[in-house]
Amino acid sequence: MKTLLLLLSLITLSAVPRVSASAVDSVRPLRPVAAAYTFEVGSAHLADTYISPLKYDGWSAAFRYERMQAMKFDPDRWIMRLSASVEVDRTQNPARNAVMWMGSIDASWGMLRRWRLPWSLTLAAGGSTGVNLGCLYNDRNGNNPASAKAAWTVNATAMAAWNVTLGRLPVTLRYQPTVPLTGVFFSPDYGELYYEIYLGDDSGLAHCAWWGNYFAMENLLTADLRFGGTSLRLGYRNYILSTKVNYITTRVVTHAFVIGLSGEWLSLNPRHPFNRDARVISALY
Amino acid sequence: MKRLLHIIYLSAALLAVASSCHELPDYDNDRRGNFDALWSILDQHYCFFAEKDVDWDDVYSRYSPRVSDRMSAEELFNLCAEMLDELQDGHVNLSAPFNTSYYRKWWSDYPQNYDERLVQQHYFNFNYRSTGAIDYGILEQNVGYMRYPSFEYGIGEGNLDAVLNYVATCDGLIIDVRDNGGGNLTNVETLVARFITRRTLVGYISHKTGPGHDQFSEPRAFHYNPAAGGHLLWGKPVVVLTNRSTYSAANNFVSIMKLLPQVYIVGATTGGGSGMPFSSELPCGWAVRFSACSVLDATGASTEAGVDPTDGCAVDLDPIAALSGRDTMLDRAIDLLTSL
Repeated sequence: MKTLLLLLSLITLSAVPRVSASAVDSVRPLRPVAAAYTFEVGSAHLADTYISPLKYDGWSAAFRYERMQAMKFDPDRWIMRLSASVEVDRTQNPARNAVMWMGSIDASWGMLRRWRLPWSLTLAAGGSTGVNLGCLYNDRNGNNPASAKAAWTVNATAMAAWNVTLGRLPVTLRYQPTVPLTGVFFSPDYGELYYEIYLGDDSGLAHCAWWGNYFAMENLLTADLRFGGTSLRLGYRNYILSTKVNYITTRVVTHAFVIGLSGEWLSLNPRHPFNRDARVISALY
Repeated sequence: MKRLLHIIYLSAALLAVASSCHELPDYDNDRRGNFDALWSILDQHYCFFAEKDVDWDDVYSRYSPRVSDRMSAEELFNLCAEMLDELQDGHVNLSAPFNTSYYRKWWSDYPQNYDERLVQQHYFNFNYRSTGAIDYGILEQNVGYMRYPSFEYGIGEGNLDAVLNYVATCDGLIIDVRDNGGGNLTNVETLVARFITRRTLVGYISHKTGPGHDQFSEPRAFHYNPAAGGHLLWGKPVVVLTNRSTYSAANNFVSIMKLLPQVYIVGATTGGGSGMPFSSELPCGWAVRFSACSVLDATGASTEAGVDPTDGCAVDLDPIAALSGRDTMLDRAIDLLTSL
């Protein structure tokens, strides 16, 4: 039974009354988690001069988990955002006789300071940090078939959200750009074999990132159509990565349509029942 | 508001500068564009211009005027192949759907020095053993023999244990890598690991650090360790049999074995091919392969031109003797091992 008591119960926000910000401060506010599971399907444009001087085009598919929540220490002003994704791209060269794949995983966590503005508008700005691991692979190359990617970055991120209604349907529109400012990323030397790295030559593989050698930008546009406790998320995601180090240029550009489910959830501890007078402070809605 | 606009303008300018710094090559997919792409790929990545004393700019000036928009794909291919032949490198190929160019003179100008059936029939009466890609057996002079036709084929540790266990009582071992055109260096490591008893310097690798013809990294030593885990090691004398078609990874194998104390290289100078090849492609989709990374032997010397036999061990296959069932190169190897 004790174990049972420790289990978290999940309830949707539709069952939780929202109280105005003027509610009593002594009651700890409730901070629901805005979580989204989305699929992204679109086009990919890849180039990596370690593998080929040509630009490859094809499709991109990704699965992403996103989680936002007001921060405990100052929930009205600060929110956190966690994002994790798995992506696969398949592209072909202009002659359509060679295939280049890219697989990557990505995770980031950040905090944003937000400002509630009139007209249901919210602006936020902050920073995040993330890791990206991936690999481009060309199936017809011999000793240079792959180009591994690894980066840890410190990013600037911002958000603009607007709560509107379409008829009677509440909709939250959001724009979220993220730009790495600095970090560390991996690259072999210009003509270095991965076999040399296998033999133990690990010198000069890590590079400090700045906009001159590592530029990336993510633009995420979403519309959450809020049907009760669950929302349908539709959107568009654009990602640009352009790096040049050791005379090796890499370019990754994807445009993707986003579709998925999102919603707000509360984790409650049965040993500490929530106060019905508690304010609910949403990170997104 | 003015300040905000300034920040936006500055950010936009920085974005534009950042993205424009990372230019990608842009070649037209026409005759001229493909020719220039091929020349540029080699110009920026090929690793033996200095060693082979090739003036690549001069090559461009001689071949470029011959490019015409009216030439057929076949004509362009032949022109490109002719240009690549200037490098005299067996690792340089141009592949189109209708043809693949090879520079063949590195072996075609030399005697072949190998007849597989000659060994199979007259030395083993077709009664040899096979494990994995290795054919092996014991010659009547109590000399072990193993033939490894290509380093493309993986070698299992169990396969090598079987071979070395079978020939364990022999006085010596012949490793025949004639006509072995190379393959994976990891297979070289697997095989060499049976003939060393301590961590051994086996060579140096120097890669290009930029597109300039003289931009190379300092040669970095690499070592092999002896086979671990209770696998059999061979400490008796070894002869490595070579011919001109012993190439690339096989050439590397010979260069390593030659510097081991109990090993003799018998036969002809190997074909070379010490440059690890990279691949690239042209806008029209043709693939190009070229030497991009130089592998040196343990003395720091290049083996691009081949590895010579041990002093006094150079021998060719006598075609007249072959008619009577004798492989004079193999006979020389047997004589050497039985006379030690």
